[in-house]
Amino acid sequence: MRPRFDLWWRSGAGVAGLIAVLCLTGCNESAADPKTQIGANPDLPEQQQYLLPPMHVAPVVGWKSGETPAVADGLQIKALMTGLQHPRSLYVLPNGDILVVESKAPGTEPIKRPKDFIMKWVESWATSGGDTGESNRITLLRDADGDGVPELKSVFLDHLNSPFGVALVGNDLYVANTDAIVRYPYNPGDTKITAAGTTLTPLPGGPIDHHWTKSLVASEDGSRLYVGVGSNSNITENGIEAEKNRASIWEVDRATGRWRIFASGLRNPNGLSWEPQTHALWAVINERDEIGPNLVPDYLTSVKDGAFYGWPYSYFGQNVDPRVQPQRPDLVAKAIVPDYALSSHVAPLGLAFYTGTNLPASYRGGAFVGEHGSWNRPQLNGYKVVFVPFADGRPNGPAQDVVTAFLSPDNKSRGRPVGLAIDKSGDLLIADDVGNTVWRVAPSGR
Amino acid sequence: MQDMTPVATRSNPASTARIAHHPIHPMLVPFPVVCFVGTLLTDLAYWKTAEMMWADFSAWLLFVGLIMGVLAAIAGLIDFLGNRLIRALAPAWFHMAGNAVVLVLAFFNALVHSRDAWTSVVPAGLALSALTVLVLLFTGWMGWTMVYRHRVGVGNYAPEV
Repeated sequence: MRPRFDLWWRSGAGVAGLIAVLCLTGCNESAADPKTQIGANPDLPEQQQYLLPPMHVAPVVGWKSGETPAVADGLQIKALMTGLQHPRSLYVLPNGDILVVESKAPGTEPIKRPKDFIMKWVESWATSGGDTGESNRITLLRDADGDGVPELKSVFLDHLNSPFGVALVGNDLYVANTDAIVRYPYNPGDTKITAAGTTLTPLPGGPIDHHWTKSLVASEDGSRLYVGVGSNSNITENGIEAEKNRASIWEVDRATGRWRIFASGLRNPNGLSWEPQTHALWAVINERDEIGPNLVPDYLTSVKDGAFYGWPYSYFGQNVDPRVQPQRPDLVAKAIVPDYALSSHVAPLGLAFYTGTNLPASYRGGAFVGEHGSWNRPQLNGYKVVFVPFADGRPNGPAQDVVTAFLSPDNKSRGRPVGLAIDKSGDLLIADDVGNTVWRVAPSGR
Repeated sequence: MQDMTPVATRSNPASTARIAHHPIHPMLVPFPVVCFVGTLLTDLAYWKTAEMMWADFSAWLLFVGLIMGVLAAIAGLIDFLGNRLIRALAPAWFHMAGNAVVLVLAFFNALVHSRDAWTSVVPAGLALSALTVLVLLFTGWMGWTMVYRHRVGVGNYAPEV
């Protein structure tokens, strides 16, 4: 029988047609301006189901000598401390001492699918800057004369378990490790704690521990602690049972350690803070990935007692995510719309309301947000600190870029901003976990 | 046991990629077949239970099936290109073209299965898994035709009469 060359042609055309059909669902990229997704009513485009999700992480180059981030008019920036080990969050003690939480991921996430190999490999590009040796500790910096050069640097607490949040109430210092809130005795002026900690409340840590940062804040009267507990997956791909008590903010009674879920449906809440005018709890939330470059916008929101914010079933109210089964229309109906979108994939991890007086007056009462930066969209988004103006305790106007140039002009990462704090003099502090630096933003001309 | 001697009159189409006269292609071919059939079964289990373990199984089966499938294809292609007698068989062409389609389907299916949770399987993943098995039934039949009717890769030995 004669070889059938026409069969080759036909099967080849069939394959090409199949690729074309599959691409209809995965290859069209809308290039929406992130600005249309900032504020109370973000544009929410159609969902996409990717064949290959974009994995675009800025490769790390680090800060060259003399390089700094760029700041808005009226501000200047200097490194307060360099050579840190993956600084993730900051806390300012009443005497002005600055606690730098140096922390790394627990690394307990198992490889469950072939995809996990590839994701881990790509993500490793993003943190390859800097030595990830000694970490999981808190370093104390003291700049008593306020000249921007600390006179003292001391290892304050060591051998912690992926710590993130810190809160001081009286002489009790609380550290939120990834698996527990631990209490230590602290006296004003201490530069080192040697006492063993006491566990107040265990938190969901392993197994998996996908979102591991536990943000912490004490109520203004000191009676309660609020802790952010991120989800154990992007969108329940580790099974719904892995999400027990996660994707929520817990309220912990400081006296007994008893806790309850204060608010839920918050995929990865961080930067828990009190809005200075209304004294309401606010947080920044990392929303879900892999349904489009412009979905889902991360957000800044007030957190209401008992409220459900959608994850995993829906986002921004009743926009249902088809990846979650079984679906829960009862919960979707309850989901409330968050206050203020920050645009998609910016990864907000730091939040600080400006209660100081020495930065320009326009910053008073508003919120600084540290955006760690995107991986799941072709054009990088975030990688900066923005300012959201507030009036009467609500966001009032578009977010403004305040600290930028964490990316080089060729889109390489010099650093990435994470946690924020306001120091005793009223300057803004920024933890940069890729640049291994703490930056201090002061008014210019000082 | 009877003595085996070569049949002189008619030569079977010989395999080129072989170890000690044993063709490599049929040693490798069960792996992708079982993996891709298994993918359909675990996809069905996930569809019915929404239990992520089944979707994870599907992703691994596709991954291993693709690796072993490519190795089987290399051995098969060497046999196909190495022997004019094999190229002269119509079932060999159907077998090769069909299995190329299987690998392309499985590749896209692996991408679909790399999504998170429900849409990694339902509906596109499940449809691709079912289509893959349908094409496999056809290409398998063609493969068996080549061996059992045309004696591709079978040694030129027969019991002495």
